[in-house]
Amino acid sequence: AIPPRACDDYWSEFRHCKSLRNCFHNYYTYGTSPSCKQWKEDYHNCKEWEKHRGAEAKDALQKSERNRVAEQRNFTPVWELRRDPPRDWHMPLNQEKPQDS
Amino acid sequence: MDQSKQEEEYGYNLFPERNTGNNKGKSIAQSLFTFNHKCQVMLQFAMETSPYAKLLLSAMKSSGCKVLKERHFSCEDCDGTVSGGFDAESSQIVLCQNNIHQQSHMNRVVTHELIHAFDHCRAHVDWFNNFRHLACSEIRAANLSGDCSFSNEVSRFNFGLKQHHQECVRGRALRSILAVRKISREEAEKIVDEVFHTCFNDHEPFGRIPHGKKDAGFAYRDYENRDRYYANL
Repeated sequence: AIPPRACDDYWSEFRHCKSLRNCFHNYYTYGTSPSCKQWKEDYHNCKEWEKHRGAEAKDALQKSERNRVAEQRNFTPVWELRRDPPRDWHMPLNQEKPQDS
Repeated sequence: MDQSKQEEEYGYNLFPERNTGNNKGKSIAQSLFTFNHKCQVMLQFAMETSPYAKLLLSAMKSSGCKVLKERHFSCEDCDGTVSGGFDAESSQIVLCQNNIHQQSHMNRVVTHELIHAFDHCRAHVDWFNNFRHLACSEIRAANLSGDCSFSNEVSRFNFGLKQHHQECVRGRALRSILAVRKISREEAEKIVDEVFHTCFNDHEPFGRIPHGKKDAGFAYRDYENRDRYYANL
């Protein structure tokens, strides 16, 4: 296995997180200053994993990323997800749909 | 129900060129004396250069809804000050050529409407009968398209700082709903409140709230790398 992201990506996310612009946007959105140290930790674990293939670093990094994924899904959706795309997405425009009232 | 009532009920009266079931071709006169060409050019530019739009187009393609400019976008004249809309009936994004005059505005409208199209593509959204679904998509579109950026709000003379983004998203979602459906303001507010937490936190397909091109660029990078990402968790 390889790290979920290229190690440099973690560093660029860290720099981006600490930037003044991002600090401003975080306050504008959430009313707080952003927490960036996880990105830095992830970067170091990533480098550690790459260089020494250490199991600890690997586990820590994967745990951190799984946590990120969980945070993004921390809500119950209001709608049901589709299994297939809508059938009429590609239908040509001048095709009349059957009128139902 | 008769057509005119249906038109008013679902907001179609804002888009007078969308005769249900009727697709007129463009005459040369229409092309010469309207902003149609300018709209087409700006649309093309948005699709090619905006990281927001590119990410959404990519995500839609992966979901089985490849977006074709000629089929899924329509530049038309619209009523009032509305900038665009998503027509679920015909699977088309309407761009109001008479109300969009700057590229940055076009980028934002394209992103906003693509978010609706994306929701339509990945979920069973009942646009016409379920106000919670409508509210949810509007919250997401206001949240993720840059509609509520600090600079946009300032240009509307809405000065706010701490957590103002959320206020803006609520307000714009409310306005969008009231513009296209006949319900009371109180009812609309109640619905927005009900679904706000869920929908404000649904950042698909961005994975974050993109506050500018740099954010959107990072989100696009993440999207491109998603296969590697999920394979190595």
